Amino acid sequence: MSARDTILATLRRNSPDPAAHPLPEPALLGESDASPERFTASLIPMGGTMLDRDPDETLDQAIARRFPQPGLMICSLVPEATGTVHIEDLPTPQAAEPVDVTIVRAAFGIAETGSIFLSESQLHLNAIAHLTQHMVVLLDPAQITANMHTAYLRPEFHTARYGVLMSGPSATADIQGVLIRGAQGVRSLTVCFASQ
Amino acid sequence: MKEKPINHAGAAATFIADKPHLDFHDARLWDMRQKRDAQMHVLPEWQELRSRASAIKEHALANLADYLEQFERNAKRNGIHVHWAADGTEHNRIVAEILAARGARTLIKSKSMVTEECDLRPYLAARGVTVTETDLGERIQQLDDQLPSHIVVPSVHKLTEDVARIFARHYGTDPDADDPHQLAEAQRLAARPVILHADAGMTGGNFFVAETGTFVVCTNEGNADLSATVPGVHIATIGIERVVPRMADLGVFIRLLSRSALGSPITQYTSHFRGPQDGGEMHVILVDNGRSARLGMDDFWTSLKCIRCGACMNTCPVYRRSGGLSYGAVYSGPIGAIIDPTFNERKYSTLPYASTLNGSCTNVCPVKINIHEQLFKWRQVLVEHHQMPFVKREIMHMAGKLMGQPKLYRAAIAGTETALGTLPRFALYNWLNPWGKNRELPEPVKETFHSWYRRNRPAAKPGQTDNAENTP
Repeated sequence: MSARDTILATLRRNSPDPAAHPLPEPALLGESDASPERFTASLIPMGGTMLDRDPDETLDQAIARRFPQPGLMICSLVPEATGTVHIEDLPTPQAAEPVDVTIVRAAFGIAETGSIFLSESQLHLNAIAHLTQHMVVLLDPAQITANMHTAYLRPEFHTARYGVLMSGPSATADIQGVLIRGAQGVRSLTVCFASQ
Repeated sequence: MKEKPINHAGAAATFIADKPHLDFHDARLWDMRQKRDAQMHVLPEWQELRSRASAIKEHALANLADYLEQFERNAKRNGIHVHWAADGTEHNRIVAEILAARGARTLIKSKSMVTEECDLRPYLAARGVTVTETDLGERIQQLDDQLPSHIVVPSVHKLTEDVARIFARHYGTDPDADDPHQLAEAQRLAARPVILHADAGMTGGNFFVAETGTFVVCTNEGNADLSATVPGVHIATIGIERVVPRMADLGVFIRLLSRSALGSPITQYTSHFRGPQDGGEMHVILVDNGRSARLGMDDFWTSLKCIRCGACMNTCPVYRRSGGLSYGAVYSGPIGAIIDPTFNERKYSTLPYASTLNGSCTNVCPVKINIHEQLFKWRQVLVEHHQMPFVKREIMHMAGKLMGQPKLYRAAIAGTETALGTLPRFALYNWLNPWGKNRELPEPVKETFHSWYRRNRPAAKPGQTDNAENTP
C-alpha cells in the first residue's frame, strides 16, 4: 500500500467520533471599526510608517521626501508614480536584488493589524516584495476591512496563487530578545492612503 | 537497542549553574508571556476565540482523512504536487528525489519543526546537498550544531556574546561585537547571496486549508518568503494535523497565533500559497511520522490540536529554568513532554516529570489542550509500562503505603512540619532533598488541618468516623 493509503487508512481507523465534534459556524468576532485611523494605529506598533501627502504634493514628490538619497533604484508598479526601472525589465527574481524602493498598491488593508495584502496581481514578480530594500504601499481607505475574520471573506484568498499579508517591515528578536526592524525582507514599509 | 532515558534533571542542573544565561532566559520568556497577557486583555472575545479554535481543530482531527483528501484534490487542481510521507525517512527521500530530478545542489530553508523531526539536514548533506537555514535563530543553531531550544525562538538560550562568537567563526565578523543590530545585519548580508543563488527553497506550514488547497506560513523575518519566491522551486513540509476546513477558519487561528507566541497582534508576514508562481513549481509533503497513531490514543490525541505557538513553554517555570536543550528532544517544554513520548517512550520517559503540574500551560494554550492533565496521565502510562526510574519508583511505593494508612500519614506530616521548623539548614538543604535545590522550603504551618479540625469540631459519633476519614 502507498504511504498515502496507509496514512488515510490509519486515520480512519483511529479517528475520534466525528459526530461528537461538529464544525462551528464561521466566526465574526471583535471590533468592526474599519477606519483609516484604526489601521494607522495598528500599523505603527508593527514598525510601519505612514506617508502623509500635502494637498498639492504629487506622489513622486512625497516619495522623494521620504527617500531623499540620490541615485536610488526605484521600481513603481503603480501608474501614480514614476520609478527608475520598469518591472518588465526585471525578468527574474534575482534581477530584483538591486532595487532600493518598490511602490505597489495593496488589494486591501486590515484595520485590526495594520496589514496590507499583496499578490501576484499587484507584484507581477513576487520576489520583489522581499528583495527590495524598502516598500511604499498605496492603500485605498475604502479597501480597509475591519479585522481578520472579515479579511478572510475577501475573494483574493480564493484567487491569488501567492497572497501575503505584510504587517510592517521584516523583523527579528532572535538575538537576546532585542527587537530589530529590517531583518531579511524589507527594511521599511510605508503606507500612503490613496483612493483609487 | 534500548535508548537511555534523557537525563533532563542533570542537564537542567548544568543550565541553572550558569546564572547570566539562566537569568536572561527566565526573564525573556516571562516577558513574552506578559506581552501575550496584554494582548489577551484587550480582546474581550479571547476566550471565545480559544473555544472556537479548539472546536475547529477537534472537528478537523475527527475528520482528518476526508480533509486531507479534499486538500489534495484542490491543491493538485491548482498545480501543486502533493506527496505523502509515512515517516521521516520517507520525507527525506522525497525531498532528495525532488532536488535530484532538478540537479539542485543548494537548498535554502526557513524554520520548520517537522524537518527537525525528520532530521533532514544530515540526510541531504550525505547526498551532496548544501542546506542553509535562513531564519536567524535557526541559522545560529545550525552553525552551533544544536537543536532549536524553543519552537518559536530557537536560540533564546543564547546571549549576544554567544552569537558574536559563532558568527566570528563562520562569517568572519568581530568576535567582540556586542550590538544585536550589527549581528542581525551580518546575517542579512551573509544570507542574501546564498538565497539569490539557491537551486531550491523550502518552508514549513502553519496551517493548510482543505477548502482551497492553500497552505499558510507565518513568519517575521521575511526569510520564508524569500525562500519561497526567489529560487523557483518551493517545497513545503507540513504535518498532517495542521489542516483547517475553510478559509474563513483562518481568522480565528491567525488572531491567536502570534498573540500567544510573542504577544504581537500578527506576524510581520502571513503568506498564503495556493499554487506555483509563474515559471515555478511547488511541492507539498504531508508528513505523518506518528501522528495517525497518536490520533488513536484516547488520552493524548488532542495534543494534535497544537499550533506550535510556544505559549506553554514561555509560562512553564520548569522550562524557563531548565532551557529547551535539557529536554534532549526536537520538542521541548510542556508540549514536548506530552508528544515526545509518542516518538520514543523510553528515551523521553523522564520528560512528563519536568513539570510541577501547576496547570499554567493549559490555561495559556490557545487551542485548549489539557497539557498538565496529559502530563499527569503520561506518568500513569509510563508507570504501567515500567518506564519509571528506580529511585522514583521506590519513593512512590513508600508514599503509596504511607498515604494508604491515615494514621501513619498524619504522624509523618506532623513530623515533617516539626522538622521544617527545627532542623538546621544543612540537614534540609542537601543532595538528599531535591526540593531544597535552588529554592527555599515553605514555612512550616503551626497546625495541620486535621488537628485543627479535631480541636474545633465535636468528636464524631461512633460509626461516622470512617466517613469523616474519607471526606477530602
